[in-house]
Order: sequence, then structure tokens, then C-alpha cells
Amino acid sequence: MNRSFRALLRLFAVQGTWNYERMLGVGMGYAAEPLLEDLKAVDPVRHGEAVVRSAEFFNCNPNLAGLALGATARAEYEAVPGAQIVRLRTALCSPLGSMGDQFFWAGLVPALVGLTLIGAVLGAGWWAIGGFLLAYNAIRIWTGYWSLRTGMSSGMRVGAAIGSSWLPRAIEWAGPAAGFALGAAVPVVAGWYLGIFGWAGAIGAAGVAVAGFALTRWFGPGLTTVRFALMAMILLLLFRRIGL
Amino acid sequence: MTEFSPHVVLPLLLWGTLVGLDLVSVPQAMISRPVVAGAVAGALAGDVEAGFRIGVLFELFALDVLPVGAVRYPDYGPATIGAVALSAGTPWELGLGVATAFGLVLAVIGGWSLQVVRRWNARSIQRRAAALAAGESSAIRWLQYGGILRDAVRGLTLTLAGLVLASTISESIRLDRQTAVAFTLVAIGSALAAAVSSAFRGSGRGSRLKWLIAGLGVGIVIAVLT
Repeated sequence: MNRSFRALLRLFAVQGTWNYERMLGVGMGYAAEPLLEDLKAVDPVRHGEAVVRSAEFFNCNPNLAGLALGATARAEYEAVPGAQIVRLRTALCSPLGSMGDQFFWAGLVPALVGLTLIGAVLGAGWWAIGGFLLAYNAIRIWTGYWSLRTGMSSGMRVGAAIGSSWLPRAIEWAGPAAGFALGAAVPVVAGWYLGIFGWAGAIGAAGVAVAGFALTRWFGPGLTTVRFALMAMILLLLFRRIGL
Repeated sequence: MTEFSPHVVLPLLLWGTLVGLDLVSVPQAMISRPVVAGAVAGALAGDVEAGFRIGVLFELFALDVLPVGAVRYPDYGPATIGAVALSAGTPWELGLGVATAFGLVLAVIGGWSLQVVRRWNARSIQRRAAALAAGESSAIRWLQYGGILRDAVRGLTLTLAGLVLASTISESIRLDRQTAVAFTLVAIGSALAAAVSSAFRGSGRGSRLKWLIAGLGVGIVIAVLT
């Protein structure tokens, strides 16, 4: 199997050893192993140092980890000083975390989930779920492939390669798309649930929703929506017990 | 309530393990999203309607999670499966509320279990610190396999606990119809609050807010027409 392909497959498990000390570090070391194999024969000492560096502290969005992995692997083959490679890894943490989180977690995922919810409640059911999984995984697998390839082809110049890529432009549209899809999903889903309860039930649920929205904003982040929901249910039980 | 025969429980346990693994470790293919986990669990438990009703509701809660950096969050995947197992076979308007309360507690426990696994991973790394410092690739491999195995055990344990508790709760809790419906309405209202909160937090005050409001308008039209 091609070494880049093995590295790409291992990148899908990059968070397998997630912890608060090295974060993605060990997962990155695991994914780097196939890429560094050739270095073992050429320069065994350098290979050992490269393996140590590959598993040190690292954190970013997992879908963009290939950019750092490819860039540092290439730098190891180009015999770039170790301290410089460590600086590159450290410097990539924040931008790859921020860009990946904005594109995937705050953009693509909520946008696709919003569309899936609309599809599911309008009767598309399994088609909506299948479409969601297909669309998301097609995009993230392609992004993983692109990340690794771009990192390996640009090495220490990976920052410039990211800046001139599709990613910054994609982030610009992903956020509004998420807002639109979520905005559309909320009333559709609310109608799907509340339709059978009549006006009284709908007004009651809307009251809980407004109270939850307001209270979690005022008392957040201590009061999360999960805590609000559990507290509201306990209150309801108490009210029912005293006959209200 | 799901019939707890081996041909139902074993597939649910396998599904819960995969869902638990998918959240963080591997492959992050989004099968851990509640709408996916719930629908499949519903099919396995023999009540697809319950799977979708619970899955969509928990998805609204899950939208409020932004898994960035080292943030701590509930694990909704195995929790959704437990909630589906509890509500399957019951009319959804009566079972949704209790199943949601049960699932939310499981989700919080699931979030805590993630922290436990992460601390175990850190301790495991500390134990192999010398091998890592010596550049031993085999040490990295074993750490990785160990981390994934720990997470798989976490997913399996959570799902098993969810199914056992669901079986116990279904036999011990009896609510009158009015209370059950009120519970369901509170659950729906809370989930909508989570989704709206997430949407507004993500939109800020700029052009994204305009897109959110436009989406709300479109959604209201669709809801009225359907």
C-alpha cells in the first residue's frame, strides 16, 4: 500500500490517543510513521529524532492535521533543522485549529445537520441520513487527501499554500450556510413535534423554549441547555406532585 | 419499551460501541450524530419512528456543542441509543419526555467518561515516556491501539449501562398521561432552546445573522405549508 495512503488512513484515527498533555501528538506520530519509513534507511539517527518530534504536543482540527503532517514530514526529508520543524508545528496549531473549526464544526456540520433535520421530518428519513453521511464524508475525505498532499508538496511554505487555497473562501460561505440551514430547520422541526398537541401544547413548549434561551444566555456557561432541561423536568415533577 | 432479547441487545451494543468510538477516536464519520445513531438504534430496536423522534430531539441538543480545543461536552451517541431503547414501543408523545430526561443524564455521564479516558491516555503516555523519548515507533503504535481500545470499552460500557437502566426504569416508572405529555413538551421546548441558542451564538451580529433570519423565514413558510 502506498505510504501516503497509509498515512491518510491513519489520519482518520488521529484523535485515538487524545489527552490533555500531548492532545493529538501521539496520533500525529502514529500517522507520521509510514511517511518517515524511508528516512530510516537513509539516516537512522535523523529518523529517530523525527519520530520523537512527530509525537510531541500538537493540536488542531483533525480534518486539517494532514497539512501539518505532510509539511513536517517533507521538512524532515529536506534536513531542515529540528528546532525549525518544532516551531513550524507549534505555529500551525492555532491557524489549523481555527480554520478547521470554523469550516467544519461551525459551518459544514451544522449546515448539513440542518438540511438533514428538514429532510428527516419532511419524510425523507433514511435518504436524508444517507445523504448527510455521504456529503460529509466525501468532503472530509477529500479535505484529508488535499491536506496531506498540500502539506507534502509545500513543506516549510505550507502557510502560504493554505492562504492561497480554497479554504479561506470556503470558511466565508460555510458560516452563513449553517445559519440559514439551522434557521430553516428550527420551525420545521418544531412544527413536526408540536402539531399533534394543539395550540395549548405549542404555547407551553414555546414558553419553555423562550425561558431556556433567555436563562442559558443570562446564566451561561454555568447553566447549559442540558442543565436547564433537567432542572425544568425536576420542577415539573415537583409541581405535579403538589397537584399543580 | 424494547424487548431485551439477545438479537436486539447485541446489535445495539455493537452499534453503541461504534458510535462511542466515532465521536472522537475513529473514524469521526458522524455516525455519532444523534439523528444517525437514533435512527439506526430505532431500526435495530424495531421502532424506527421512536428512533427518528429521539434522534432529531437529541440532535437539537447536540447542535449546542462546539467541539473545539479541549472543551468538555456531553456524549450524545450512546445516550441516544439508551433513550431509544427506553421509548421504543411507546407512543412517542408519551415516551419522549422521560426518554429525553434519561438520555440527557446518560449524555452527561458519557461526557464525564471521555475525561476519564483522556486521563488514562495521559497516564499511559507517561508510562511510556522513555520509549517515546527514544523514538520507538512501536511505543507510539501501542499507545494508539490502547487509546482506541479504551474508547471502545467506554462506548460499550455506556451503551450497556443505558440498556440495563432503560430496562429497569421502564418497569419502575409509571406516569399518568398528563404528566407524560407535559414531560414531552418540556423536552421539546428545551431542545428548541438549545438549537436556537446555538444558531444565534454561531451567527453573531454580522451578515451571518441575516442568513439565519432568512432561514427562519423560509422554515416558517415550510412549517405552515406542511
